[in-house]
Amino acid sequence: MAKTVLLPDELVDVEVHVPTLTLYVQRFWDGLHNAARELYKSKTALIGALMLLVLLLLCLLTPYIARYDPIKQNYRELLQTPSAKHYFGTDRYGRDIWSRILWGGRRLLLISVLAVLVGLLVGIPLGTLSGYYGRWIDAFTMRVVDAWLAFPGILVYLLLATLVREWKLAGVWNDLALIFALGANQIPRLARLVRGTVLAEKEKEYVEACRAIGESSLYIPLREILPNCVSPVIVQATVSLGSTLLVIAALSFLGLGSPPPTPDWGSDLNLSRDHMESRPLIAIFPGLAISYAVLAFNLFGDGLRDILDPRMTDR
Amino acid sequence: MHQATQASESELSRRAFLAATGGILTGAAAFGVMAQAGAAQRHPTRGGTLRFATRADISGLDLHRNIIYLVSMPLAAINQGLLDLDARSEPVPGVAAAWEATPDLQRYTFQLRQGVLFHNGREVDAAAVKWNFARMQDAKIAHPLTRSALENVQEVEVVDKYTVRCHLHTPSAAFPADVVYYPCALMAPDSADRADLHPIGCGPFKFAKWDRNNITELVRFENYFETDAEGNSLPYLDALLGRPKREDRVRLTALRTGEADLIDSMAYADAADFATKYAGKFQTWEVPTLATSFILFNLEKGPFTDKQVRLAAAHAIDHEAINQAVFHGRGEVARGFYAPASPWHAQGVEAWPPYDPDKARFLLRQARAVGTEVALQALPTPPYMQQTAELVQAMWAEVGFKVRFNLYDEVALNQNRRERTFHADSTAASYRWDPDGWFSRQILSTAPATRANSGFRNERADRLIAEARRTAERQKRLELYAAIDSLVNAELPLLYLYHLTLLEAGSMRLKGYQPSVSGAFSIRGGGIRTAWME
Amino acid sequence: MLAYTINRILYLIPVLFILTVVVFSFVHFLPGDVIDVLGGQEGVFDPAVRQALQQEYGLDKPLYVQYLVWLNRVLHGNFGTSLVTRRPIAIEFFQRIPATVYLALVSTAISLMIAVPLGTMAAVKRHTVVDYAAQVLSLVGISIPEFWFALLCVLFFALYLGWLPSSEYYSPLDHFGLSLKHMILPAAALGIRQAAITTRLTRSTMLDEVQKEYVDTARSLGLPERRVIYRYTLRNAMIPTITISGLQLAQLLGGTVVVETIFAWPGVGRTLFEAIISRDFPVIQAGVLILGIAVVVMNLLVDLLYRVLNPRVRLA
Repeated sequence: MAKTVLLPDELVDVEVHVPTLTLYVQRFWDGLHNAARELYKSKTALIGALMLLVLLLLCLLTPYIARYDPIKQNYRELLQTPSAKHYFGTDRYGRDIWSRILWGGRRLLLISVLAVLVGLLVGIPLGTLSGYYGRWIDAFTMRVVDAWLAFPGILVYLLLATLVREWKLAGVWNDLALIFALGANQIPRLARLVRGTVLAEKEKEYVEACRAIGESSLYIPLREILPNCVSPVIVQATVSLGSTLLVIAALSFLGLGSPPPTPDWGSDLNLSRDHMESRPLIAIFPGLAISYAVLAFNLFGDGLRDILDPRMTDR
Repeated sequence: MHQATQASESELSRRAFLAATGGILTGAAAFGVMAQAGAAQRHPTRGGTLRFATRADISGLDLHRNIIYLVSMPLAAINQGLLDLDARSEPVPGVAAAWEATPDLQRYTFQLRQGVLFHNGREVDAAAVKWNFARMQDAKIAHPLTRSALENVQEVEVVDKYTVRCHLHTPSAAFPADVVYYPCALMAPDSADRADLHPIGCGPFKFAKWDRNNITELVRFENYFETDAEGNSLPYLDALLGRPKREDRVRLTALRTGEADLIDSMAYADAADFATKYAGKFQTWEVPTLATSFILFNLEKGPFTDKQVRLAAAHAIDHEAINQAVFHGRGEVARGFYAPASPWHAQGVEAWPPYDPDKARFLLRQARAVGTEVALQALPTPPYMQQTAELVQAMWAEVGFKVRFNLYDEVALNQNRRERTFHADSTAASYRWDPDGWFSRQILSTAPATRANSGFRNERADRLIAEARRTAERQKRLELYAAIDSLVNAELPLLYLYHLTLLEAGSMRLKGYQPSVSGAFSIRGGGIRTAWME
Repeated sequence: MLAYTINRILYLIPVLFILTVVVFSFVHFLPGDVIDVLGGQEGVFDPAVRQALQQEYGLDKPLYVQYLVWLNRVLHGNFGTSLVTRRPIAIEFFQRIPATVYLALVSTAISLMIAVPLGTMAAVKRHTVVDYAAQVLSLVGISIPEFWFALLCVLFFALYLGWLPSSEYYSPLDHFGLSLKHMILPAAALGIRQAAITTRLTRSTMLDEVQKEYVDTARSLGLPERRVIYRYTLRNAMIPTITISGLQLAQLLGGTVVVETIFAWPGVGRTLFEAIISRDFPVIQAGVLILGIAVVVMNLLVDLLYRVLNPRVRLA
């Protein structure tokens, strides 16, 4: 939508496109179209996207394709190798691994996405404010971020998990504790990243121009700078998705995983440690699942970076 | 999770004391001269260093403040006490060459050997013993397990330089088992100020170095009093290097690649076929009665205050399934506290409710408790505790309980116990030298552990326990304990699940080694004392 | 620049202060205390005994008093003794620092030794087998869970191939060869994953550099390709690589719990973790303080290095 603005000096009608919401949405949609086209340019992004699509499909179809209850034990079918009855075999309690992987995947992917969202929701504003306003806000925020980075993330998780148990909450609250703890871990990194990009953008000419026009100091970072910072953030976000999955696996190893019998790739991998040599075919699946998902995120993130970076021509 | 591991081993190590022959032991016992059957076959050579890889590491060097578990902590090799242990895990003469009790079992007089030295050269005399006992009764210093071993001691009297007399509060036939070197290890009185840095004991090995989670170095104590059948002084080994390796796979790998000469345990999945797979390449030693695992019920708060509900829970448990899924068939289902391999295994114990899920559902409906929420807790390490609990959770869910299972680290677990906020606990207790060490702690209603754990209050049980304690004759005691276990299986303050075993494995070069039935590796005339490296 | 550095160093103090206070509070909010650990599952059930022990360990005083007592001691150079082992923090914590530092250094070295050549080759020989192989390997490297990878390394290299020992730590000061031999596997387990990240980074920065105009200029001047690559582009591409490696190193210092547990490595990551589990406050405080200093200093160095090497981003 065009708005006519009278420039005092020249008394000429000039059409200045001031972005309104509709225009923004239009831009976004166009961007998506472009992205889809661009996707073909980068093989990695394509492969990553496909892998993610498969993952998404499996998650959505889980109630139909998981053949057994993931927490139902069966003492007559312990540690069975993959067969027509149990695609991935059974674990040490006789639970169907295929079902556990599917149900576990839904839960874990949701947790990772939410955790990264938490990180973005706090990290982006923090980094933007810090980068744009500079001086003492920047100094203070960056010192807090410094301390945050040095903080043993495990403590946050321990505390939240303990509180959940103390207050006798169950089920979804455990997952929420995990989400917040993981998200809290992501915040300092994202904040630093955003701040770095904002700092770089701040020096560019268009910002100068905006200031000259007289746009407010709240408007500039939000509407002008931030959209240009989106690409590294998106890339980092996809990488973070992968790394949260790996952190969940590590937590299970340390004995801090989700309470049994929640289907959890990390716990299952941990449980299968004993059988790495005697039943390698069974022990491998949770590990493969984690690796697959993280790989998918990383491939996609890689490809995204390739696409979104205007400098790259033919990578 | 080292702390949890180590302390759960110490949880496994509540005092377990067996009277050697039950009754009054008069006359001289053998002077530590024992020819171990295995060791007699080859001629032992002096020298050699044994690299011992274990699951756990100690958490402190003070012999009284910390529990130094003699199954999986190499530092236990520096310990010796009034009484020693033999291959059947029975108390036998240690520093005390002989002892006798008054007929009322309230006064025990120990005759110490002469010339037994601490590692710093000081002699182990009656005054030293008295000092040690005083320190072990100090609540601010001693580990609760150690302190409870000497709870019954009213006064320690130094009769003469080599005679100590203990006056007990209540008569006890189990007292000799209380003063075995685990947990009552004797340390040199003049070493108290450096107790946390350099422990001085009187056992077969001397402390050299401890680097936490890395290495424990011990060297042979040249003036150790025990000798073999030919009069050569024990131990044969020059040095013992303890290497804690928490990860089962890595410990086993260390053995298989030759980095370790002896490992204290391996995962049950590996133990199932290790002996056959590696016959000829590695030796194995069975430890048939390491500990007993059980489900502890909270009888004071929650659904299990109702006996019907407990019965239902018991009927829901398929012991054989746990056997297969968790332990891969190694070891056996526990019908009482002691396994058949133990000298204290009692015949005629009435069994707990058999596996009958339909009956369980019926009882639950009768008690109007279908869908009751149960808070089940367990430690995450050792793994079998969690794994057993997972199975129990599934079994209970099947008959209609709603089980909320949580893994807690040690601190949280103990807090739950203190605050009585748990309903059931999947746990285990390690071997006791004397049944009184178990029953008077977890079954006797006045015991602090009972009050904090199950809260069991049964007059008949209390009476039987007190009576068994006072009885000198072994056979009679066995009968009494059988009756108590029958009561436990009927009233269900806890449900016995399983007798845990261990499979120790070592290189073919290790000769003359055989741990006791409960896993202790430093035993009279055996274990690492008579071991040598070829 | 100097002013900036001094500024940052001065800021270190409040950062560390905040960090220790926050950690102190967090750990105290966790239920239970070290007494539960000391008594094992035998527990300390007698409230009188519990109270006596709490007094003994100074745990009965209000939180802020405990914190100030600790702070006071630290400012006098006394970090206290571990509540669990009762040995000075100097032994319980500081002596473990070398083990983790060696591990971190060796793994970063391994990572750079793999990543730089691989990333460079991948960038230079774009769209060839080398490039794809490098990309695949690095992607796989960052996708595998750490403990799984470590266990696989142990099984493969120590057990099946028998090339390397599986665990144990020896100080390089005592026996350099043995120490290195035992360090390779854990360092590789860490380093290969680091290498994966660094390879990707090196590759992408090299690709950036190779596209720049000065490269064309150099080429058109007739300089040999080798010289163009190694003298000029590589040097420039190393800037972000080194800075990221520095950040990784800093993170590694506190994040090695998993590898340390598996390889029975007596390092600070594991020590701190176990201290948190057993509520061993002196060790936790000392650990967080030292690691905090390490991380913050590393970040500072990396920031400074970046600003020095990259004239475009000047001091704000």
